[in-house]
Amino acid sequence: MFGIGIISLAPAITALLRPAVRKFISKEIYGWMLATLVSILFVWLLTFIPTINEVGHVAVSMPWVPQLGLTLSIYLDGLSLLFSLMILGIGAMIVLYSIYYFDDAKSLDRFYTLLLPFMSAMLIVVLAGNVLTLFIGWELTSVISFLLVSFNGENEAARKGALQALIITGGGGLALMVGLVLLGTAAGSMEINQIITNTSLRDNPWYIGFTTLILIGCFTKSAQFPFHFWLPGAMSAPTPASAYLHSATMVKAGIYLLFRLSPVLGDTPLWENGLLIIGLITVLIGAAFALRQYDLKGALAYATISQLGVLVVLISLPHGEGLKAAAVGILAHGLYKAALFLTVGAVDHSAGTRDMKKLGGLARQMPGWAVVAVLAGLSMAGIPPLLGFVAKEGLIESLLTTPIALAVVVVSAAFTVAFGFIFIWDVFGGKASHSQHLHATPQGLLIGPAALAGMSLLTGIGLPVLITPLIHMITHEEVHLALFSGFNTPFLFSLIAVAGGVGIFVTRTTWRQWALPSLPTGTQIYQGVVQRVESVGDLLLKTQGGKLRYYLAVILSSVIVLQATAGLAHLTGYSLTFEFHPSIDILRSILLLLCLGMMLASILFKSHLLAGLSLGVAGYSVGGIFLIEPAPDVALVQFMVETIGTVLLIVMLARIRSVERQQAMDSLWIQSKAGLIRDILIATGIGVGVGLFVLAALTNRPQPKSIATWHLEHAEELVGVPDVVGAIVTDFRGMDTIIEITVFSVAALGVLTILSKPPASARWPVGIANAITGFQKTFRKPSDEDEYAVPAPYVDYLPEKHPHGEDSFLTSFSTPLTRVVTRIILPLAFLVALAHLFYGGEGPGDGFTAGVVSGLGVALWYIVFGYNDAHKQFARLGARRLIGIGVALVIANAAFPMLLGHPFLAHLNFDIPLPANIHLSSTFVYETGIFLTVLGSITTVMEAIAYPKEVEPL
Amino acid sequence: MNILFAIATGIMFAFGTFQLLRSDMVKSAMGFYILFTAVNLFFFAVGAFNGQAPAYAQNVDKVTTSDPLVQALILTAIVISFGTYAILLGLISASARRYKTADLDNLDQLKG
Repeated sequence: MFGIGIISLAPAITALLRPAVRKFISKEIYGWMLATLVSILFVWLLTFIPTINEVGHVAVSMPWVPQLGLTLSIYLDGLSLLFSLMILGIGAMIVLYSIYYFDDAKSLDRFYTLLLPFMSAMLIVVLAGNVLTLFIGWELTSVISFLLVSFNGENEAARKGALQALIITGGGGLALMVGLVLLGTAAGSMEINQIITNTSLRDNPWYIGFTTLILIGCFTKSAQFPFHFWLPGAMSAPTPASAYLHSATMVKAGIYLLFRLSPVLGDTPLWENGLLIIGLITVLIGAAFALRQYDLKGALAYATISQLGVLVVLISLPHGEGLKAAAVGILAHGLYKAALFLTVGAVDHSAGTRDMKKLGGLARQMPGWAVVAVLAGLSMAGIPPLLGFVAKEGLIESLLTTPIALAVVVVSAAFTVAFGFIFIWDVFGGKASHSQHLHATPQGLLIGPAALAGMSLLTGIGLPVLITPLIHMITHEEVHLALFSGFNTPFLFSLIAVAGGVGIFVTRTTWRQWALPSLPTGTQIYQGVVQRVESVGDLLLKTQGGKLRYYLAVILSSVIVLQATAGLAHLTGYSLTFEFHPSIDILRSILLLLCLGMMLASILFKSHLLAGLSLGVAGYSVGGIFLIEPAPDVALVQFMVETIGTVLLIVMLARIRSVERQQAMDSLWIQSKAGLIRDILIATGIGVGVGLFVLAALTNRPQPKSIATWHLEHAEELVGVPDVVGAIVTDFRGMDTIIEITVFSVAALGVLTILSKPPASARWPVGIANAITGFQKTFRKPSDEDEYAVPAPYVDYLPEKHPHGEDSFLTSFSTPLTRVVTRIILPLAFLVALAHLFYGGEGPGDGFTAGVVSGLGVALWYIVFGYNDAHKQFARLGARRLIGIGVALVIANAAFPMLLGHPFLAHLNFDIPLPANIHLSSTFVYETGIFLTVLGSITTVMEAIAYPKEVEPL
Repeated sequence: MNILFAIATGIMFAFGTFQLLRSDMVKSAMGFYILFTAVNLFFFAVGAFNGQAPAYAQNVDKVTTSDPLVQALILTAIVISFGTYAILLGLISASARRYKTADLDNLDQLKG
């Protein structure tokens, strides 16, 4: 049963394999292979008929994202069978036709790359057993049809038409998505077989909501009024694509969904009247415009619209009376419309024009095509013994009880008859036009259309054998289809339509000169709306001055407004009681004051260096606050990070040329007074808001009986570490730490990436996309200049005197004394780090501290000896490799207990007696991993930021 | 005591925001750093209880210790904010090298 899944995905997978396969075979052989493959899928699908006859449907289901109700399920019954047979059958003919339609192999390859996934997407729509899967296929058809319509993207009309089609069908897709989700919620399942058996949906309170939304989706897709105009706009697609979009796919998706849901959503005033009215308007608009078009493709597009309107009218009828006729109509329309489009493609190819006024008398030069056109045109006109006739009879029979609809449909049938005759006569009959110079068309081009036209005839003649069982599978009732069922009422109306059509055809020269009132067309309205949106967009863009600070000011002001309106109103229960414990709070207040004063100084100082140093002092005083809490672990890390942060800032400052730094520093108070006041106001607003928030949070802080108490009591017993904070970091919240250390190393690698020049050719995924779409040439090849600029070994770059480059202030740090001190400090730093590693669990300090301490030693080396020497010195360390080893060690250590049957991150104690009171446990391994990661990260960052070479401006 | 921390955090946020809005990129980065510090301090203050001794197992039964959980959280926060700060400095360094300016007002290519 999973064969059906393979059938629906096979075309897309084949498209993926194209680059590999096409290397070895010519485009003809490849095209024939594809056509054969699609035909095989067609036959494979036929093998499911016995099961469908027996059980009614084939349903397969596999959970995909159960939380969202998303399953990979397939639902194949008579209706999906009809559609998928059309998709595959007509698709095979399109594939065949394309081989000869596209002159160059490259276009053909590109076309197949789009056409085959499109086929798959369409199959997903009709075979999906879940409305969400159906929706995914639906959207894919919208997107891929956009690419197909804009296939000749250098042509402006193609781009505009494609965009218009995408906006209309995509917009409808949004409505459909909401509608389907509501429908699924109302039905209690997203599965199609549960939805279409749920008879209570009509009484659901949301009925009007989801039905309207689904109808909008279907109407946009199936080009119903008032969304019909995208379809003629989309005719700039290559003709085989148009033929496919108009006959078996795309516009038929909407019809499919309406048909599919009509048993459960139909028989209500909304459904009946909505579909009927929209359908009838569409019928008339399509028929009238089709006759006024001289462009063959445009005329066919409007004829499609009219025909789709007819199908919608049929689906609107109560008790599913019209479904039988609709099913026949869908098939008949697909067959003749594809053949007609493909014929137009050949005529265009041969005569170089699609203008009916310039064409005529082609029958002599293109006899085969004339036969195809006559068969398909007569089927369209509804002349026996073609399938179109059966469809029209069925249509009229279904509408006998609805006089208005009948009248409209008979009139439009007359139009269609006239159009069929005009198509046959004005292109192939009559006198040859003088200015015509015909190119020969390849013989192979005729195969597909001939087969399709032949099918129109064959299905008409072989009606009882070929069509009746299929329709029976769809409607599950006795089906009597006959080419001629006596001189009854339907036949009479049919005669009227033909007679009227002949009348319109004969008088065509007269009425074609009539002027129609010039109403705004759908396209004009659409363009008006687009223009309006664009001008509003232009207006909005004017607010985007490009200066980041103004954006930030706007964002922060909005935050203040939000705070004042929504946020602070909810803050309750903060008390202003002022408890003061002199023993500790005096010290705290002093440190806080020091911190705030230093922060203020960092604002006021013009010099970056001074500002950075005062910020460092501020950080140290925060460390002091931590220390008197007493929280020695945090204080230690705060001191460490503060130090390395300040060092990093200073090294970074040295990398900016002094000219630019001076400029930036001088700009400090240049700001206008208004700007300054604005900034102060924003800062005050944010400060007040946050202060109030903090106050509320502090007043309502968690009660002593928190998990912290549990941690305090169980740390030593469970982790074997007296330092509870360390135990939490390494064990209780060990996963946090793994993530933290990963983020930290990614940040370090990020700094390296930011300061490196990117390689020009990203191999994945652009390379793959190129291979598929054949756009390789657009992207340039990488050249030698594009190698990573940083951190290449750079030994002879700088003169001895200036280890930091010509104008760096860091040079002054390099004195004989500092050099000696640095040489002593580096090994000491590593010693201290080791001590932290081994005994960290018993007091403040851990792997992170160890990493930062040794990292500080490294950083000092970079400052004092300069980049060249430090790079030579630490290249052996392999900083980036250290990061990898460290993270791998941490993860391996966390996963190792699983081998012994413990959970992930379980604490293990290795009872190995070691000298010097060293305690070996999984915590120790963990800390070692963190140490390596941090050391590697800091060295990487130093190396990237200290790299003195100027990078070329972009 | 709550009021003291609330006022301090509020002022720090005001300082940080003001720094953030400077045209000098280095000052902007310092603004971020002030904000990081303020947040860490807030985390610290919001602990469940204050104590008289460090959170070591040998102190637990004798006196109230400081809240170990917030401390562990701050440790993570400090490390992450340092990583972010490093990235910021890298960005400044890169744009100063590539665009030849450290003044945000000279970078106006984000124009709509």
